Amino acid sequence: MTLHRIFIANRGEIAVRILRTCRRLGIETILGASEADLDSVGARLADRAVCVGGPRSADSYLNVEAVVSAAKNAGADAIHPGYGFLSENRKFAAACARAKIVFIGPTEAQLDAVGDKLKARHNAVAAGLPVVPGGDVSDLKSARALAKEIGYPVLIKAVGGGGGRGMKPVHEAGGLEPAMNLAISEAQAAFGDPRVYLERLVTSGRHVEVQVLGDGTDVIHLGTRDCSIQRRYQKLVEEAPAPDLSERLRNGLHEAAVKFARHLAYRGLGTVECLVDRERDTFYFLEMNARIQVEHPVTEAITGLDLVEEQIRVAEGQPLRWRQDRIAFNGHAIECRLNAEDWTREFRPDPGTVTAAVFPAGDGIRVDTHIQSGAVVPPYYDSLLAKLIIHGRDRPDAIARAAQALARCEIGGVATNVPMHVELLKQKDFAAGAVDTRWFPQFLESRARG
Amino acid sequence: MADIQLVDVSIRDGNQSLWGATGLNTPQILQIAPVMDRVGFRALDFTSSTHMGVAVRTFREDPWERFRLVRAAMPNTPLQLIGTGFRFISWEKAHPEFMQLVYDRLVANGVTRFIVLDPMHEMDAVNETAKQIRKAGGTETVGALTYTLSDVHTDAYYAGLAAQMARNPDIHRVYIKDPSGLLTPERSRTLTPAVKKALGAKPLEMHAHTTIGLSPLCYMAAPEFGVETLHVACGPLANGSSLPNAQRIVANLRELGHTVNIDDRALALVADYFTRLADAEGLPHGTPQEFDASFLRHQVAGGTLTTTRRQLAEIGLEHRFDDVIDEVSVVRAELGHPIMVTPFPQIVCTQALYNVIGKERYDQVSDQCIRYVLGSFGKPTGPVDPDVKDRILSRPRAKEIMAEPPPLPPSELRKRFKPGITDEEFLLRAVMPAEQVDAMIAAGPAKRHYNPDTRALLKLLKEVAARPSVPDLEFEKPGFRLRLRGKTAHA
Repeated sequence: MTLHRIFIANRGEIAVRILRTCRRLGIETILGASEADLDSVGARLADRAVCVGGPRSADSYLNVEAVVSAAKNAGADAIHPGYGFLSENRKFAAACARAKIVFIGPTEAQLDAVGDKLKARHNAVAAGLPVVPGGDVSDLKSARALAKEIGYPVLIKAVGGGGGRGMKPVHEAGGLEPAMNLAISEAQAAFGDPRVYLERLVTSGRHVEVQVLGDGTDVIHLGTRDCSIQRRYQKLVEEAPAPDLSERLRNGLHEAAVKFARHLAYRGLGTVECLVDRERDTFYFLEMNARIQVEHPVTEAITGLDLVEEQIRVAEGQPLRWRQDRIAFNGHAIECRLNAEDWTREFRPDPGTVTAAVFPAGDGIRVDTHIQSGAVVPPYYDSLLAKLIIHGRDRPDAIARAAQALARCEIGGVATNVPMHVELLKQKDFAAGAVDTRWFPQFLESRARG
Repeated sequence: MADIQLVDVSIRDGNQSLWGATGLNTPQILQIAPVMDRVGFRALDFTSSTHMGVAVRTFREDPWERFRLVRAAMPNTPLQLIGTGFRFISWEKAHPEFMQLVYDRLVANGVTRFIVLDPMHEMDAVNETAKQIRKAGGTETVGALTYTLSDVHTDAYYAGLAAQMARNPDIHRVYIKDPSGLLTPERSRTLTPAVKKALGAKPLEMHAHTTIGLSPLCYMAAPEFGVETLHVACGPLANGSSLPNAQRIVANLRELGHTVNIDDRALALVADYFTRLADAEGLPHGTPQEFDASFLRHQVAGGTLTTTRRQLAEIGLEHRFDDVIDEVSVVRAELGHPIMVTPFPQIVCTQALYNVIGKERYDQVSDQCIRYVLGSFGKPTGPVDPDVKDRILSRPRAKEIMAEPPPLPPSELRKRFKPGITDEEFLLRAVMPAEQVDAMIAAGPAKRHYNPDTRALLKLLKEVAARPSVPDLEFEKPGFRLRLRGKTAHA
C-alpha cells in the first residue's frame, strides 16, 4: 500500500518536521491544527490545514474523535501523530483502524504492551532485560515491605505516568507514607489511574536510550542517545551516540533494545529508555516510547537516515530497507532544545509574539523549528521554540560548533533559554562527558547560590 | 472502457531522446525517486547499458550504486533496463556467460523488469535473452516489436513475431515500440489488433515517440485495440523526439472514459521537478512536434540529423545535406531496411555521408557497417543488396574483422583484472577504459541530494569565489543581507 495523503495530528516543530519529509516524498499533507495554531508555520506549509478544535489541548490535539473525523473528512489515508498528544494512545490507534486510516506507529497491542509502565516492565523481564529492582505496590504495607527488601532510597512512580510526572523519591523509611499518599492521589488526578509502583532509586544514573526500528518481523537499532541533562525529568540537551560508555555496556544496550523490540514483534519507530547505573556500570530497562522522539534528529545526524521516512515506509507495509550492518555511525551530534522560558526565573514559560527569529545555518547545523518573526507562541502548549542540532566530527567538535551556533541565534519578543545553553556548554563537567541526571540540577543550584 | 497503466520513460528514454542521455545524474534522480514511486507507474524505463556507461564516463558515478539507492528510494515501482541482449556498454558482442552475469547483477542490484529488443527481431536471440533474464530472477520481461515502414514490416510480419512471443513463457508482455514515431492512427487500426490477436492473453504495451506528433493520437485509439499500458514521459522530458506527455495522456484518456489510476498530484510534482531541473541546468524542454511528411521517407531522428548537418558543416559541405538525406533512403534499402533504431541510424547516416562526399559510393565504409553486413547485430531483416555486400566484404578491413577472436567468457576476461574485485566492478572494467572506472572509484559515493532552486545561486557564488579580484561581496536588499568574505582577503 502506498500512502498519498497524510494527516498530521500534531503541532509545533514536529508538525513542520513531518511536513518536510512528506513533501520530499511527494505525499500530500493536511495539518490538524487547533484554533490557536491556524496561523502557525506548519499550518501555512501544509497543503491544507483544518481546525480540530479549541486552543486547549483537551479540545483539539487530545480529542480522539475530533482528530479522527477531521482526518476522515480530509480523505487522509494515514495519520502521523508526532510525539506527545495522542501518539501513544491506544484508543486513538483503535479509532484510526475503525476509520480505515493507517496509524503511523506501532500496533494497538504494542502500544498497550509499553504504554503502561508496569506492563512494559513485565514485558522487559519476559524478554530477559534487566530492570531496576522493584515492583507494584497496592498499599503502604506492601510498599514498606518492598522498600525494605530493595533498600532506600526508592522511587515511587505512577503506573500511567510519563515525562517525569508523578514520580516521588523517598530517601528513608519515614518519608514513605506521605510520599505514597501523595503519589496515589496525584496519579489519580493526573492520569485517572491511582496505581503506583516502587523501585530502587539509582543515585548516580545516566539516561541513555536506544533508537529501534522494526517492521513487525525484523528489528534494527540505530544507536544510543544520552539525555541525562534534564530538569524535573524534562530533557534539555541530548546527544548521540551516548558518550563514554564501555563497549560492553554499549553493545549490551543495543542488544537489549533489539531483544525487547523483537519480543514485541515491534512495528515502527521506538525508543528503549534505560537507566545506566554509573556506580555499578550496568543498566536497567526503564520504559519504551512507542513513537518518534523529540531528540530523534541527533540519531538522524549520525546515521544519515530520515526517521520520519522510515516510519512512513513501515506504515506502508514495507520491510525494513536497511540491514543492521548497513547502519554506520558517523561523528557526534548534540541537540539543544530552545524553549520560550526564562531560566533565571525558575524556567517560567514566556509565551507571546516572537518579534525576531534568526537561526544559524551552515554545514553540520540543523534547526528544526516552527518559529519565524511574527510567530505566536501560544500559552496552551509546551514552550519548545526550536531544536538546534549540531553534527561534528567528534564530541569536542560538536560542542565547539554548538557554542558558535548558539551565539548566532537571535530570538526576540520572548525570553528563551539560549543563555542557559551557552553557559551549560562551557561547563568542564559537561565537556568531560557522561554526567549523570543529578548534575544539571546541581549546576543550576550552584549557579543560583552564585 | 479500459483501465490503463503507464510506464514512465523520463529517466531513460526521455533523457536519451532530448538530453543526449547525459541529462540526469544520481542525486538528480534520487531526489525525485520517492515522489515518482507514489505516482503509481507500472514501471520506470530506467536504464540501459548506454546509460550505465554515461554514469561512469560523464558523472564518475557508479551505476550499480545508483540502482541500489533508487531501488531503496522507490520500492514500489519496478526499474526497467532495455537491452539488445548481445552487448553491454561497449559495441562489441559479448559472450553469453558474460551477459548472464550482467543480468544476474542487474537483478541483484534492483533492476527487475527487462525489455528485450533485438533490432533484427531474431526470435532465437530474443528467446535466449529472455531465458537468461528468467535465470537471473527478473520479474517481468517484455518483448519488443520494433515498428518501421518498409515492404518487409507488414502487419502479418509483426503478428507472426507476436505469436512466437506469445508461445514463450519467459516473455510476459509485449510492446509495440515505435522509436521514430512513424505509426499513424490509421496504421495502428490494423497493426494493433493483428498483434493483439496473435498475442492472446499476454498484455500489450505501446511505446511511440512523438517525433512528428503522431503518437498522442495513436495512444487515444490504443485502448480500443487492447493495449493496456502506455509509455509516457514527464514535463520537459516529454514531446520532441521523446514520448507523449504523461499529464496530457492521462487527461485525454479520462476524457474518452478510460480509467488511469495514478496520483495526479504526485505526477504534477514530478513534471514540475524536471521543469525546474531543466531550467537550472540549461537543458531543453521537449515541445510538441509538427507533422513532417519527409520524415516518413528518411526516418532519421532529429538527433542524428543534427549530427549529420554538423559533420557536413565542419567540412564545408553543408549544402549537400539534402543529397545525404536522399542517400539515406537508398542506403537503408540496400542494407535490407534496418529499423532505424540504435545503432542503425548512425550506421546508415554515416554510410550515406561517406557515399555523398566520397569519390564513389561505398569507397569508405565504417567498421560498424561491416559488422552489420557480417551479421554481428543479427541477421538483417531483408537481404542486403548482393553488389553492396560484395563491395563491403571484399575490403581488407572486413577480413580483419572476420578474423577477430570470438568474445571471451567472464572466467577468461577476469584474468585481465586484479583478483578480488566485485562482479559489478569487473563488468564495468571488462567493457570500459580502465582510467574511466578508476576515476569513478576515486570520485567516491555519489551525492544524495539535489535542489534545482539553489543551483543558480550556488553557481554564482562558486564563480565569484573563484575570482581573486573579488575578496569580499556584500548583497543587500530590504530585509536581507548576504556577506561573503573571500579566503584570500583574510588569510
